Amino acid sequence: MACHRLLRILARIEDGGPGPARLCEVSADLMAMTGAGIMLMSGEVPRGSVCSSNEVSALIEDLQYTLGEGPCVDAYRQDRPILEADLAARGAARWAAFTPEALAAGARAVFGFPLHVGAVRLGALNLYRDRPGPLDDDQHADALVLAGVAARAVLAMQAGAPPGRLGTELEGGADLRFVVHQASGMVSAQLDVSVGEALIRLRAHAFADHRPLDEVAQDVVGGRLRFA
Amino acid sequence: MTDQGLLIQTLVELADNLVDDFDVVELLSLLADRCVELLGVSAAGVMLVAPEGEVRVVASSSEAMRVVELFELQADEGPCPDCCRSGEAVINEDLATAGGRWPRFAPMAMQAGFRSVQALPMRLRGSIVGALNLFSAEPGALTVADVAAGGALASVATIAVLQQRVAAESRLLNDQLTHALNNRVVIEQAKGVLAERTGLSMEAAFEALRHYARDHNLRLSDVARSVIDKSLPPGALA
Repeated sequence: MACHRLLRILARIEDGGPGPARLCEVSADLMAMTGAGIMLMSGEVPRGSVCSSNEVSALIEDLQYTLGEGPCVDAYRQDRPILEADLAARGAARWAAFTPEALAAGARAVFGFPLHVGAVRLGALNLYRDRPGPLDDDQHADALVLAGVAARAVLAMQAGAPPGRLGTELEGGADLRFVVHQASGMVSAQLDVSVGEALIRLRAHAFADHRPLDEVAQDVVGGRLRFA
Repeated sequence: MTDQGLLIQTLVELADNLVDDFDVVELLSLLADRCVELLGVSAAGVMLVAPEGEVRVVASSSEAMRVVELFELQADEGPCPDCCRSGEAVINEDLATAGGRWPRFAPMAMQAGFRSVQALPMRLRGSIVGALNLFSAEPGALTVADVAAGGALASVATIAVLQQRVAAESRLLNDQLTHALNNRVVIEQAKGVLAERTGLSMEAAFEALRHYARDHNLRLSDVARSVIDKSLPPGALA
């Protein structure tokens, strides 16, 4: 990648001051994508969203969180870029549940780049575009750099946090799906099952109703939906 | 005289070892062994200065070298501590005439079979990472070219050490992040369990968990776990 482009990326991120939201905006903008998001993962599952640049990006992250499949999940698990230049093409059937929902939301091409620093894996950078087509070589190279910058930025957000606590920026700026875990607690009490099983029930309900898991969880917490 | 081909091969070999999950001690041991072959010294070793300032022997090409290096640290005297402190190279110091500079180290190292010693700094900009130590059985063993080659090897070792420190710090931060996230998840789940069983709002449930933790001098996440695994009945909190 041309050196000046890298410097531009770094300058843009620092200009915006701290804050996860800025990372995604800059990523989408610099990559000429329709949207970008950064998904946090650990223990092989999505844990939440550090940021997303628009509503469709947020939905793409939601879908992967709800369904446990998609470009970010694969990028993280396989630790390599996942490139889907045309979701509508037959080959995109690799994500049976994710693909139709992502298409319906308006995404045509999706790309996932793993976030890692050395051997430490943190999640994935998610890019989408509303029309099909591959990334060109420059964009691919830029995305790798951006993913590296994003990984370090996420770690920097956690640096200096008291033991056992999340960094202030992550606590305040990221969407770590706390409502889903509150709902899991409630459903586990309603059905007298473990919180793990309660989460599976919630996911199944969201999948069957074609709704984001967050929304279903809100209904549970708001008392509008009961499982028993 | 240094064999240029072998030097380049060694530099490539060391660079190849700088992959994601490399073992820094293994890499520095390889470096010490290659120094003996390349520079014609009797023994080589690497000492590292920890970020807190403590100096440690990390790699030695022979047991005699290790013993002498450990003695240096104990006595806090010798070419390696000097180099780690000043960041300046010690070159071809003849132990037979170094009794004034190192009254305890010089006779000890000669007894171990060494005659001349050198220490090359491992340095990046302002900070001293450690020293590459090269000991010979003969006086004046290193040529100018040898010293330059040793400097190149020390540079690769410096990069390896710094890269490993960044990786270790990243791992630590990521572990802390995962741990913090898990704690938060458990607390949110417990809020849900408590809210459902007692009819409290989420905020009131959180307050109840916090009060109980504070009153019983327990960690909030531990109280949350007890609520989830039902070892703590909701009635005890609300």
